[in-house]
Amino acid sequence: MWLRRLATDRLARLSSAPADQAFATVAPIKSALRLASVNDAAARLGLNPGMALADARAMYPGLGVADDDPAADLALLTAIADWCDRYTPLVALDPPDGLILDVTGCAHLFGGEALLACDLVGRLARQGFVARAAVADTVGGAFAVAHHGATLTAMILPPGETRDALLSLPLAALRLPAETVDALAEVGLKRIADVIERPRAPLAARFGAALLHRLDQALGRVDEPISPRLPLPACVAERRFADPIALEADVLGTIAHLAAELARVLERRGEGARLLQAALFRTDGKVRRIEVGTAEPLRDPVRVKRLFTEKLAALADAWDPGFGFDMVRLSALATAPFMPAQSGLIADDHADHVADMAHLIDVLGARFGLRRVTRLVAQDTHIPEYAVAALPASAVGRGTALPSPLPACGERSRAKRAGEGASPRARASRIEEEHVVRKGPLTRPPSAVDLSPQAGRGGARGSAVPPSHEQDTQIPTRPVRLLARPEPIEAIAEVPDGPPVRFRWRRVLHLVAASEGPERIAMQWWHDCDGNALTRDYFRVESRDGIRLWLYREGLFVRETGEPRWFVHGVFA
Amino acid sequence: MTSTRTHISSGTALQTLRQTVARIDAAHAVAPVAENALSLGRPEIDHLLGGGLARGAMHEVAPTAALHLGAATGFTLALAVLAGAQAKDTIWIQTDFAAAEVGPPYGPGLDAFGLASERLVVLRVPRAIDVLWAMEEALKHRAPAAVIAELTDDAADLTATRRLALAARHGGGLGLLLRHRATSDPSAAMTRWEVAAAAGPRDAFGGLGRTTFALSLVRNRRGPAGRFTLSWDHHAHVFVAAAVSRGVVETARDRPARAPLVRAG
Repeated sequence: MWLRRLATDRLARLSSAPADQAFATVAPIKSALRLASVNDAAARLGLNPGMALADARAMYPGLGVADDDPAADLALLTAIADWCDRYTPLVALDPPDGLILDVTGCAHLFGGEALLACDLVGRLARQGFVARAAVADTVGGAFAVAHHGATLTAMILPPGETRDALLSLPLAALRLPAETVDALAEVGLKRIADVIERPRAPLAARFGAALLHRLDQALGRVDEPISPRLPLPACVAERRFADPIALEADVLGTIAHLAAELARVLERRGEGARLLQAALFRTDGKVRRIEVGTAEPLRDPVRVKRLFTEKLAALADAWDPGFGFDMVRLSALATAPFMPAQSGLIADDHADHVADMAHLIDVLGARFGLRRVTRLVAQDTHIPEYAVAALPASAVGRGTALPSPLPACGERSRAKRAGEGASPRARASRIEEEHVVRKGPLTRPPSAVDLSPQAGRGGARGSAVPPSHEQDTQIPTRPVRLLARPEPIEAIAEVPDGPPVRFRWRRVLHLVAASEGPERIAMQWWHDCDGNALTRDYFRVESRDGIRLWLYREGLFVRETGEPRWFVHGVFA
Repeated sequence: MTSTRTHISSGTALQTLRQTVARIDAAHAVAPVAENALSLGRPEIDHLLGGGLARGAMHEVAPTAALHLGAATGFTLALAVLAGAQAKDTIWIQTDFAAAEVGPPYGPGLDAFGLASERLVVLRVPRAIDVLWAMEEALKHRAPAAVIAELTDDAADLTATRRLALAARHGGGLGLLLRHRATSDPSAAMTRWEVAAAAGPRDAFGGLGRTTFALSLVRNRRGPAGRFTLSWDHHAHVFVAAAVSRGVVETARDRPARAPLVRAG
């Protein structure tokens, strides 16, 4: 389909000037303002694109002029492509002013190719666009006929007759570069009929392979795939209305009906939808697309309706029905195998819990965006702030039963008892026994050097412990909240590596009553190109008020920095 | 309550009316002992709560001062763990502001505390009003073991909490509203707790002892208020009686709710 006067039609739709007034858009081409496009009235006066504006003005002082705006034209073309989605899901852009629709298998829904083309051109004409449509076996053939054919609006080439129709058309119809067309014209080859029977080798040698390639494309000897602008949905259900609907409840009711239709199709395929899109075609041509994602494959119409209810509620102002919607389409853009699960008779069955949770995540995701519903996923790093990542729950949590990562309670309480009963000295030696002392030619500190409490001064530095190892302490070794970023504090501490004695955080002075540490965490030197990442010594600290915080000193005294800075990084329960 | 008073004998009609009202009132009143109440493991507290913390209800937790928010968070998490967060998912709703101000929940810390972090769904919402909406929605679903919602301001008024309480009753889950600031505003919550971090006892080597909370049950629909000091055993996932740390007078029971702790010496 070719929108002959896209640029001027766009402006004419915005202005109230009569249609028979000559009008053109101008753009600076070759250091002069030249006409970029003209409307029908101007074309009848003999104005052509490429003419200098001064010449055109000299001929017709009444010529209406506006700046050329290719970006706006492209946006309009995209909007029209959206609208053409009502005919076929396979719509491709052919910039600057064409659209390619693959109507294979769709035409019968509109009463045949001819009626489809007439409907398309007629609807566009009512919107103020001059369009020419051609239906042919190949993209090249349709392009040639639409741009250079004899008829004004729609032309249908029956299957197999593309070649005959092309014979009389000029070579420019083959989508060739202008210089190739000129070169061919110089040797007297002007029509497609002139080249179609010629020996191919000399043509290719002289005018390049593009000529033959385009010719083959037009004739269907070479397949020409079109790249659809939008993803092709796996399943689609749609409903058209003679009278547009505008109420939210009506739209949602329609979506529920369509979801029920879609569910039957999905059921036959043994699938459920992971990404659903409702396309609302407004009567004035605007298409509103609303997408909802799901955590689990879904086909229950009630739940689908629920998700769209939330999505529409979240849109609020952006929901603008205008004069109403004359078509609603529900498509499943992404699907996944749907495993039917036997639901239990007992209320708190595990499978039910997983399904309910998935639905809750979907509902919250539809309202706030699926990225905001997250699950915490442990990462393989020692750096506290990177040790956990909040990933979208719809992506990670497939809801299945996850084993607890914690070791059994028995093991830990055994370790604890051993620690409690021993004297400090005995305990320190036990810790040293447990630890494998690393004796390698390490010039840099290992990624995480985990010093257990009270063992710090004992020369156990360098012994590596897995970070998940539960230390022998009565409070959790990690805080329940980690501050968004470490907050600098003023702290007074013993040099070189003593715990803080008092510190001021958020304008409150805290006196330290007890502390445990240091737990030394070195930065990942293999990521640190500048070499200025400083080692952190973490302390668990309890103030005299009982407030427990996770502090760290940044930088080893003298070895890394002269004045170590202190930060609060987390808050214990 | 209303029926117990004696009145002028001007008419039996008024008396009958009062009796009717009392009957209706009783129908709406909460059951004295809930069969599925959540036991805190301490008989003295469970007794006050009428068997334990009621499920299908909403409970409020607030720190006595902003600095004690960590303790309030810990107590809320402990309640969620007791409510079965190991087997079922828990939802934590937080505004962007709260996350920037006091920090988001930290997975390794939650694991260590007793709440499996892979069973937690964290929802970040842009506005405080969205917290209430999301909490109501989550409570209506019977899926989550507990719904924790953080409120940085006093957005939850009586109407809002009433909605939350109804949603919790509908879904049967445990709603935990973690307020960043203690308030005395009316609320439809079943209980309201004010939490401070108690200076815990030292362990045998002078290190930090168990996480200890100084709890005030300031509002309780099923019984009197009270004050307790409890420690959380993060290995066994139970509350244990706090060993009183040196230098602090033991807190008295049944004192006015907001009396501060007294430090001796």
